[in-house]
Amino acid sequence: MKKFDVIIIGGGHNGLVASSYLSKKGKKVLVIEKNENVGGLAEYAESINCISPIIKKELGINVNNINHSNNIISLEDNQNHTILSDKNGKLSFVQTNADENDQKKFLSIINNYKFFSKTLGAFMFQKPPRVKSGKRADLFQLISMGWKIRKLGKKNMRELLRVIGLNIADDLEDNLNSNNLMGLLSHEAVLGTNLGPRSPGSILTLLYKQAINDNIFNLNKIEVAEYINQLEDCCNKNTVEIIKSSEVKKILTQNNSVTGVQLTNGEVFESKYVMSNADPKTTYLNLLGAEILDTDFIRRTKNFRNKGNVAKLELELENEININNIDKKMNGKFIYAPGIKYIEHAFNANKYNKYSENPCLEFYVNQKTLSANVYYVPYLINTNHQENEIIERCVSVLSKFIPDMKIVKQKLITPNKMEEKFNIAGGHWHHGDLEIDQLLMMRPFYGSAQYSTPINGLYLCGAGTHPGGGLTGINGLNAAKKVIEDLK
Amino acid sequence: MNTSKISYKKPLLETPFHERTSEHCYANDWYRWAGYKVAKEYSSTELEYTSMRNTAGVIDITPMHKYDIKGEDAKKFINKLITKDITNIQSNQVVYGIWCNEDGMVIDDGTIFCFNENHFRIFCAERNLNWFSDTATGFKASVEDISPSIAALAFQGPLSCKILNLLKVENIENLKPFHFNNYNIENHNVTISRTGFSGDLGYEIWCDPSQAIGVWDSLFKFNRDYKVLAAGMNALEMVRIEAGFIQPNVDFMSAEQALRPNRMRNPYELGLGWLVNLNKEYFTGKQALIRHKEKGPEKKLVGLDIEGDKPAVGSVLYDNSKKNQAKEIGIVTAAMWSPVLKSNIAIGFVSKEHYKLGSNVYAEIYHPEELDYRKIWAECKVVKKQFFNNPRRNETPAFT
Repeated sequence: MKKFDVIIIGGGHNGLVASSYLSKKGKKVLVIEKNENVGGLAEYAESINCISPIIKKELGINVNNINHSNNIISLEDNQNHTILSDKNGKLSFVQTNADENDQKKFLSIINNYKFFSKTLGAFMFQKPPRVKSGKRADLFQLISMGWKIRKLGKKNMRELLRVIGLNIADDLEDNLNSNNLMGLLSHEAVLGTNLGPRSPGSILTLLYKQAINDNIFNLNKIEVAEYINQLEDCCNKNTVEIIKSSEVKKILTQNNSVTGVQLTNGEVFESKYVMSNADPKTTYLNLLGAEILDTDFIRRTKNFRNKGNVAKLELELENEININNIDKKMNGKFIYAPGIKYIEHAFNANKYNKYSENPCLEFYVNQKTLSANVYYVPYLINTNHQENEIIERCVSVLSKFIPDMKIVKQKLITPNKMEEKFNIAGGHWHHGDLEIDQLLMMRPFYGSAQYSTPINGLYLCGAGTHPGGGLTGINGLNAAKKVIEDLK
Repeated sequence: MNTSKISYKKPLLETPFHERTSEHCYANDWYRWAGYKVAKEYSSTELEYTSMRNTAGVIDITPMHKYDIKGEDAKKFINKLITKDITNIQSNQVVYGIWCNEDGMVIDDGTIFCFNENHFRIFCAERNLNWFSDTATGFKASVEDISPSIAALAFQGPLSCKILNLLKVENIENLKPFHFNNYNIENHNVTISRTGFSGDLGYEIWCDPSQAIGVWDSLFKFNRDYKVLAAGMNALEMVRIEAGFIQPNVDFMSAEQALRPNRMRNPYELGLGWLVNLNKEYFTGKQALIRHKEKGPEKKLVGLDIEGDKPAVGSVLYDNSKKNQAKEIGIVTAAMWSPVLKSNIAIGFVSKEHYKLGSNVYAEIYHPEELDYRKIWAECKVVKKQFFNNPRRNETPAFT
């Protein structure tokens, strides 16, 4: 039986970051990955958010942004598309139907959001404080959080506190007239969350995304495969042992403390420290087992909102793809979410666990191929998705803009498929909704925050922890630091 | 349950015994219990109480919540739920247990009947379906609320066994305390357990609602010689205080219902530490209870023997015989004049410095006297909660 200092369940990018960091500190680390390749859900990340500079520094990762697509094209049924260009974070209109007043206001709203998210950004890369721990460090951090908000000044602080719980539709309708522009920003607020434009808190998700990614439209792009390769190299250099194509069946415990893990093939590895890159629900209910957790804790685990609703659609056409009324050379992110009403109607179906009749799309085009994020395609319990029907609905939307679509290949990855492949309960990008009660020191939920768990020696390091999904790697790094702290 | 029965005109349900209880209930004074109406007082609380202490009293306890736990993990489920270890439980045995939340605070208590390894039944006063269902997560065990499908009577008093004997309930005198079995009362199939809350010999009788009236009538069959009375909730309150049984939301707030966190109580504070087995590998609240035990309770629920004869209902407790120097140290949760003990008793919380048996505390009693209060500063002695505990209660064969 092999013994390790730390065992990490799941070789997603956070698992790799954590293992690299731990091994750099001289720990003997084992990573167990279910699939043939490490990287996990990063495989599906189309536009990648910037990797945090902290990770780059700590692990010596060096991946450049390719940034080849710096246009945002919001499609409109009447073919009068809006095109925005982003030059190093500076937005300008290339083409639009909206009047000048609207354009100005649109840009000022975005600037406003950026300004507020800077305040939030300060908390993103730290370990969130523990309320009532009685420790001076936690108290200091809480005070500094409050101070950051207070420092905005009276007027801005009021405005932040006004919008933080607001739905995005209200704020946009107060300021704008153009449906297209409102749809565009609403799209960014609700994509990947279980919210519609009229759901409370949809501004917060936008601010939060901006704080993590430093860009409201997620335009930074890096070569994901390259990033994962570098992480894997970093692990190998530091003699991290990675076992692929092996699934953990159970986390073994004794007297409320971790003793090791058992694989599905029966093999057992011993360790007093186990980190789970899996989502909280999978970790607690499947890997650990509800039998040894307090009932209140089980309640909170079950109530953690983790229903995914974005599907990935990959199409290959016979001919090169041309979009009506758009210059062939124009490359960028295409969005079809032509108004608040349209998105909200799409969201209505989601409430009742049905997929939208008229889905919203975000897609990238590369010659003959097209890859899209489709929402709302909710995670379904006990039933299966009619995949062909979903694809048909998407194609009928796309055919408004792409003449003569002849599909050669098609592939749809629903939240259920993501769940199956990566063991993510609910198939949620972020392992769980980014809403006010599931953020910061409350992420994923009370009793499990700050990467620790009720079981001694068990830690969470996946997207279910602060600061949530995306490819920041912060979750893995902070969790690893916490383990080092506790190992002392 | 027939939901069409529930309307604004008839908000409370009637138990299967209602035909009889309403006949007996001269006072027409009803108490609301879990959506049912049960008699608060039939004719005279004192008489009903006396029947339970001298002959036998019958109480309709149908509104009790009853949950069936079935499945191969049923025993494991119970062991996670309650603080006691039931690994060695036998079929036909009953255990009294409490369950706590993750902070080690008591949610409720109840009796747990073991039919076999895979089938248990829990009886409790408060609704617990939600808690039980969440606790069952991860176990191969189903939780079902079977409350409406069982009619229940408590048959408590020194002559209860004698009367069951006269009714030719075979071998009833050999039923051990905290055990149950199936019996036949004049061709009615019933389950009888030797449990109860009177601190004396007593049984609880469980049957199908269709048998309810028949069973009720049988119990009153020998009333020419043995005056069995239907007893209401007020009389029940009297016997349970004497026996020192505590009641959720009366003596302490259930952790599931308390709004203020500092109102929740752990088992050590309630004097129920003997029900907690910290050697058991796992149960909800274990980690917190280890800490609570180490720390020791800040206050404790104790019995109080009070001077005089004026019940200390709702009294505040103080530490000094001189009123102007006294500091508040506790509160009375239940109090009464005990006719059988001829003493003034109460149950109450007393703080750390004073909860040792034998210490003296002082109660300020507000005794109403013809539209005026007489304020009495009464000395109380801290004693065991179990004021009344007749040896008959545990004797087998039972007193006939």
